[in-house]
Amino acid sequence: MREKLENILSRVAVMTLEQLAFIFAFPEDEGNEIQQDSAVAVIIAFRGPFSGFLLLTVSKQVLPELTANILGVDEEETTSDQQYDALKETINIICGNLLPDIFGKQVIFNIDSPKIIPPAEAIKEKDEYKAASMVKLSLDNGQCDLFLFVDGQIPEDAIVSSE
Amino acid sequence: MAINVLIVDDSSVMRAMILKTLRISGLPLGETHQAGNGEEGLDALNRHWIDLVIVDINMPVMNGEAMIDSMRDNYNMKDIPLIVVSTEGSESRIERLLHKGARFIHKPFSPEIVRDTVKDIIDVGVGDERKA
Repeated sequence: MREKLENILSRVAVMTLEQLAFIFAFPEDEGNEIQQDSAVAVIIAFRGPFSGFLLLTVSKQVLPELTANILGVDEEETTSDQQYDALKETINIICGNLLPDIFGKQVIFNIDSPKIIPPAEAIKEKDEYKAASMVKLSLDNGQCDLFLFVDGQIPEDAIVSSE
Repeated sequence: MAINVLIVDDSSVMRAMILKTLRISGLPLGETHQAGNGEEGLDALNRHWIDLVIVDINMPVMNGEAMIDSMRDNYNMKDIPLIVVSTEGSESRIERLLHKGARFIHKPFSPEIVRDTVKDIIDVGVGDERKA
């Protein structure tokens, strides 16, 4: 089941980065997690039949490209507020597409507003909870790690995606 | 006919992206207004002539569905065309929004989908002229 979740997580993240920001991402099996001091972390919580949160950490140097591509401007023109906003929108779209892909389109989830969190807090969240799934994505300019945390166990038959 | 558009989304980047999409799609844009949540959106509707509302669902203070309900209960706003642009994946929620007369665009979206949806609900010509 872990592999099944990883495939869905990876597919949705790759699709979102490509369609939203023209950033091509490739899943990596090997490699270390991002160094937190050179990364930005964003978190989004969801509630429904299954509750939990999604945590995304991305290399800082990816943010100008992500933001510029979404806005259609030069990287130098983007502000840090816009970069954080772009990152929050990215995880919002990943989460919104991920949940129905995992649990089906009949299920209703309430998704909170995304929040940028300090890298130390991201480490704490990862240490405190066990991720149901995680993927590492290699990007042109850096790396992106995505963790899915769900309260309790997800029964195998709760996952509806056929891919 | 130039159309006045109100974009309601708590993400300034998403508002800018939607606005850019409208501009490059060749739609005859008139005034454009932006709001960060449903409450601000209703305020903008009270202060400006708006031909089309593009609204997100998940927003703080007042979400998009509550804003749509308020619009449909208001004599002056009830007939304004609405497009919901959201990550919402629940079929029953989307169905509910469609019953309220809104069109639905799923994020992430292509400029073509935005242009075609706007053309579909508003009688506008699409040419090369691009207005700010």
